Amino acid sequence: MQDVAKRPDDVSAAPELVRPVAVNDNVVQTALAQHLSRISGSRTEITSFGRKSSGFSWITYAFVARSAADGDRKLILRVGPPNGLFAPYSVLPQVHALQSLAGSGVPVPALVSSEQHGAEIGFPFFICTHVEGEVPAPWAASEFDPDRKRAIARQFVEILASLHRIDKGTTPFASMQLGGERAEVRAIAGWRASLARPTARYYPLLDWGGRWLENNCPQPPCRTIVHGDYRIGNFIERNGRITAILDWELAHLGDPHEDLAWAMMPTFNAGSRRLYGVLERAEVIDLYQRASGIAVSDKSLAFYEAYALYQAAAIQMCAVRAFEVDRFNDMRLAVMASQMPSIVRAFERALEAAA
Amino acid sequence: MSASFERLIDGIVDALQSHVVPNSRDDFVRGQVFSAIYALNGLKLAADWKAGPLLEQVRLQDDTFAAVKRLADGMAHPELPATPRIGGDLLDVAAIEAMRDDGDRQLGQLLLWASGEGARAANRDVAGIERLLRRAICDQLKIELATTPKSMLEQIAGGDSGAAQG
Repeated sequence: MQDVAKRPDDVSAAPELVRPVAVNDNVVQTALAQHLSRISGSRTEITSFGRKSSGFSWITYAFVARSAADGDRKLILRVGPPNGLFAPYSVLPQVHALQSLAGSGVPVPALVSSEQHGAEIGFPFFICTHVEGEVPAPWAASEFDPDRKRAIARQFVEILASLHRIDKGTTPFASMQLGGERAEVRAIAGWRASLARPTARYYPLLDWGGRWLENNCPQPPCRTIVHGDYRIGNFIERNGRITAILDWELAHLGDPHEDLAWAMMPTFNAGSRRLYGVLERAEVIDLYQRASGIAVSDKSLAFYEAYALYQAAAIQMCAVRAFEVDRFNDMRLAVMASQMPSIVRAFERALEAAA
Repeated sequence: MSASFERLIDGIVDALQSHVVPNSRDDFVRGQVFSAIYALNGLKLAADWKAGPLLEQVRLQDDTFAAVKRLADGMAHPELPATPRIGGDLLDVAAIEAMRDDGDRQLGQLLLWASGEGARAANRDVAGIERLLRRAICDQLKIELATTPKSMLEQIAGGDSGAAQG
């Protein structure tokens, strides 16, 4: 597990709250009104409140906050459920990202409020502005013409380059830089520990491959802010422009090859080796290098392509745990669990290519 | 499929009851959903659906253990189980699944051994055992793949109708 996704230091700092065992939408709506009323100093009413099917981890709600002070505001609430995919949750990666990137070349929703210890709502949560547009999925069958898709794919790569160019030392992410063991290796060890939990099914190739990854992790060309889930489906697009990059919960400092490899994983590209089904791999790398100034290493990219599949497998196992052991009722997690054989086989092939 | 069958059925029923029924104003749709819930609960009681592929995996594991035993003759290697592990007695699905999982752990220990520097230094032929193990484990995964639908994320990306957006 990415150590930033689960920061035991943050979680253990939580006061002894008696939290509800499950997220109840009606209770959340009432608590949300109380929270926004308190922080704005103006009585706030919540309307058009409903769950959205975006992301697999945090529970996402769209709503309108109505108050005399601010009028009607379309906002998004994201709640970290106690038994979710990556529980226990920290809001810090997302909060750091939205704070750090406001006004940068990386479009993000504006942060409105956040609470690690739950406040009125009882679970870690943050509120951000609603960004108009569409998540262009299912993209491969979309009616966009190829030129429009190419334009979006190129923006997608250029925004990634912008993210990796940001001076991390000037952002709250700098506080995540720990001394001692390399962050990349620590992250691999975290995923290995997650896969070794006694409730997880044992896969021999993941045990063997995890050891190989930990022993062969390349030195990064530089350490940058890494999104951690940078893929088609995690952005909002409107009129041919990407208006927001979403889902920063796995954001951390690390090797920029990680984001590039993840974005090009065929699973997120309808099985295609071309990004968004239109940009050839060489074109992606060339565009990224020119925009970021970071030289892409074939060897590092191959390593992170194998690591991407390893992470994907570990995430599937987290989904199994959340659904079966922690009784988190989201059928998408149950379905994710059935993908292990194909991911593990692809991982074995990717490792062969990386070795 | 790793999520237990019963838990899967429970999850589907909960999703239908908690999210589909309350948001459906159409009597016909509600009738269909209630019928589906009833059918799923019946399926939970009656289904014994995966003994065949599990048995096939266990037999494949046994073949692999036997092959490793032959190739690793004279080498110091992790313990190998006596094969075949399944005799004439009929076992229930849970027992076969536990046997498959035990076999996976033993294969994992063998693979870690065969790919480790110590074993390689002691005998170069161990590389052949590593290849054999990797191939056999992949073949075992193929048996599961035969009963696995296409990746949900690929379906989302590929635009199959009805897929959830993530």
